[in-house]
Amino acid sequence: MKKFFAFSFFGFLVAFVYFFSITLSTPRLPNVNLQDGKTIPILIESVDLDGNTINHEALANGPILLNVWASWCIACLVEHPFLTEISANKELTLIGINYKDNLENAKKYLEKNGNPYDLSIFDYQGNYALKLGVTGAPETFLIIDGKIVKHRIGEINEKIWNDEFKNFF
Amino acid sequence: MMSLKIFFSLSILISCLISSEQLYENLSSNQIERLNYLSDNIRCPKCSYGNISSSNAPISKDLKNEIALLIEQGFTNEEIFQKMQDRYGSYILLNSIEDEKMPIYLIPLIALIISIFAVTTYTIKKSK
Repeated sequence: MKKFFAFSFFGFLVAFVYFFSITLSTPRLPNVNLQDGKTIPILIESVDLDGNTINHEALANGPILLNVWASWCIACLVEHPFLTEISANKELTLIGINYKDNLENAKKYLEKNGNPYDLSIFDYQGNYALKLGVTGAPETFLIIDGKIVKHRIGEINEKIWNDEFKNFF
Repeated sequence: MMSLKIFFSLSILISCLISSEQLYENLSSNQIERLNYLSDNIRCPKCSYGNISSSNAPISKDLKNEIALLIEQGFTNEEIFQKMQDRYGSYILLNSIEDEKMPIYLIPLIALIISIFAVTTYTIKKSK
């Protein structure tokens, strides 16, 4: 019987270490559902950072990388050089959603760090971002012909681009 | 001194009550009760734990405003829960247990049953 207990204890210990190592090695996925496969919500009465009206058609055609950013967001600053690199890709339109930001601060941010975006939607109250399923900044959506094919919560970099986005081109 | 303390405490309390009423002035008291119930049972999508009524994250405030608007537009509680679940998944509902997370709850229970069985068998055999 003592042997049985010794084996049981050893078995539990091995199982514990095994499950613990699996937990540590598994990348942490976001808890909320990603928006992959959904159609983008209709963009109504929106303007860019210069006050020009933006129509829904701007998001509806071709491959578009929609990036949620703000001047107060530190992680956005981290991914900014990579977005600048991506903007050189002529097959892709890079559109920003300036999320819950001060207009002056947003403009200064782009002046200081460069503007990789073809245009930025000024979403001061976060209404469009909320419909889109955004939980904060930064987040990135790859949209092809009006459909979200890839949604990423958090910053993007070269590795994430190659692993998760590149295969759509 | 004591009356001054009471005066300040009452002023703060009254100003809090007035400001919370002003936030959702289009809602009736019954609708505000529904809003509180829904906010207590919808999880903040940006935080690890906690509902949207206890969270200060911007997304929680936005969701609470959206729920207030949906209540005003005549949506039922079930429809609002469904809308939130469609957008963010079942994680958003605080009272739901996803099937894939069932082992988390079942493994300790199974381990307990096995342990009780092993100890009972061992004790009975030893007493014989």
